[in-house]
Amino acid sequence: MNFANLHLLMNHFPIIGTLVGLGLFLISLVGKNEDLRRASLIIFAAMALLAIPTFFSGPGAEGAIKKLPGVSEALIERHHGAAMLALLFMEITGALSLVGLWKSQGTSRPAGWNWSLSAVLLFSIVTVGLMARVGTTGGDIRHPEIGTGHEEVIEGSTVSKLVRRFEPSPGKFAELMTATKWWWAFMMDLHFVGLALLIGTVGILDLRMLGFAKQIPIGPLHRLVPWAMAGFGINLVTGVLAFTGMGDYYTYDWAFWLKMLAILLLGLNVAAFYLTGAFESVEGLGPGDDAPPLAKFIAASSLVLWFMVITLGRYIQSFSDTISVHK
Amino acid sequence: MALPLFLQTIEETGFSTWLRESESPFAFYFILLFHTVGLALLVGANTVVDLRLLGVARGIPLAPLKRLFGIMWIGFGMNTVTGVLLVIAYPTKSLTNIDFYIKLTIIGFAVWVMQRLKSQVFEDSSLSEEAMTARGLALAKWSLFLWFGAITAGRLMAYTYKYLIFP
Repeated sequence: MNFANLHLLMNHFPIIGTLVGLGLFLISLVGKNEDLRRASLIIFAAMALLAIPTFFSGPGAEGAIKKLPGVSEALIERHHGAAMLALLFMEITGALSLVGLWKSQGTSRPAGWNWSLSAVLLFSIVTVGLMARVGTTGGDIRHPEIGTGHEEVIEGSTVSKLVRRFEPSPGKFAELMTATKWWWAFMMDLHFVGLALLIGTVGILDLRMLGFAKQIPIGPLHRLVPWAMAGFGINLVTGVLAFTGMGDYYTYDWAFWLKMLAILLLGLNVAAFYLTGAFESVEGLGPGDDAPPLAKFIAASSLVLWFMVITLGRYIQSFSDTISVHK
Repeated sequence: MALPLFLQTIEETGFSTWLRESESPFAFYFILLFHTVGLALLVGANTVVDLRLLGVARGIPLAPLKRLFGIMWIGFGMNTVTGVLLVIAYPTKSLTNIDFYIKLTIIGFAVWVMQRLKSQVFEDSSLSEEAMTARGLALAKWSLFLWFGAITAGRLMAYTYKYLIFP
């Protein structure tokens, strides 16, 4: 398994998964099916999460093939730029889906159409289109049978010419991120602020579920989750920006990839909390009440995984160059 | 201006050298990791109290949040210990950097605000929630502002130092 394998494996998620999500979303609109709509929002959120390590596996894949004959640097750059634009819209779609899911929970609120669902519809359609472009530009790099067969960049249609104007130049973007150490310091500063916000809010909820400070009812604590997501959002943005600035530094670092794995496991953890009924089982718990074993397990694994994320994040610097470039 | 020699003396001790140069995963990065964990506990728990006083998640009863101060002190203790060890590892780098002293000053104020929050808002169990909030509102805003400042000052240390080791 090398980075090329990983990239080709993972790219199926943001390209096809998002398309499936959109299909289900549209069907849920026509059929006025609440459950299907929620399922499609969950798929959008999951694909947004998986798009991140997919994007991160790009530079490693590039490293694996760029010296091979017939591989065009220009085509790689075009694909990279297309991926950056698509990632932006993918993450916005994912964030809006989480807002939509947040608004749809709770029996007191009537489930109906709201602004977040209109926004999800719009952004998901754009995302699917952009992801299709990422797929085709990626294929052009190494599949001459489907592409133009040329090594220079040729935009076929009016639409692709238009989209091309919005795609950033990866090289220039990387230079921008690393131009001044003060910008880097600012991004890292926000990364720590995000972590304090995230760990504080999620940590207190997890600790309460494990039995700490039982005088606090759990339902109200749960209202802090949007703040946790804000913290996670800050870290996602600063993290992606940092990676675009120094892709090779993070790519060949074991601690970085293990950190990504821990974050994916946390995604599973969140899904488990809401989809197994654990949330319902703790939502109404008042002062002095004990949480059931499943909820406690989810809370404990959440704390352990966040500790691992902090640990691995801190060790990135120490583990640089631990993956050989030839992988 | 010549740098004080005690910085070099500390740096040349076996312990300081080990912390700085050892390949062991339990050296510098291990301490730095727990400094981050301490930050998460201290600032994280304080942020929850501050947010609640500012009106977020009003369903959370204020009085039980007094338990969170214990977590804050654990975080503070962790960071004091790890902080001392980090200074021992890189005495010249930290002690000749004015940013370090700014950080300590801000932390001093933030901890003072934290203590006032505890004594003014949470100590008197006869206070109503409205009274608690009224007393804690200004302190909560200062707390968030000061901790943001402390995190920033701390993070900037990696970018503002003049000497990595004694020249």
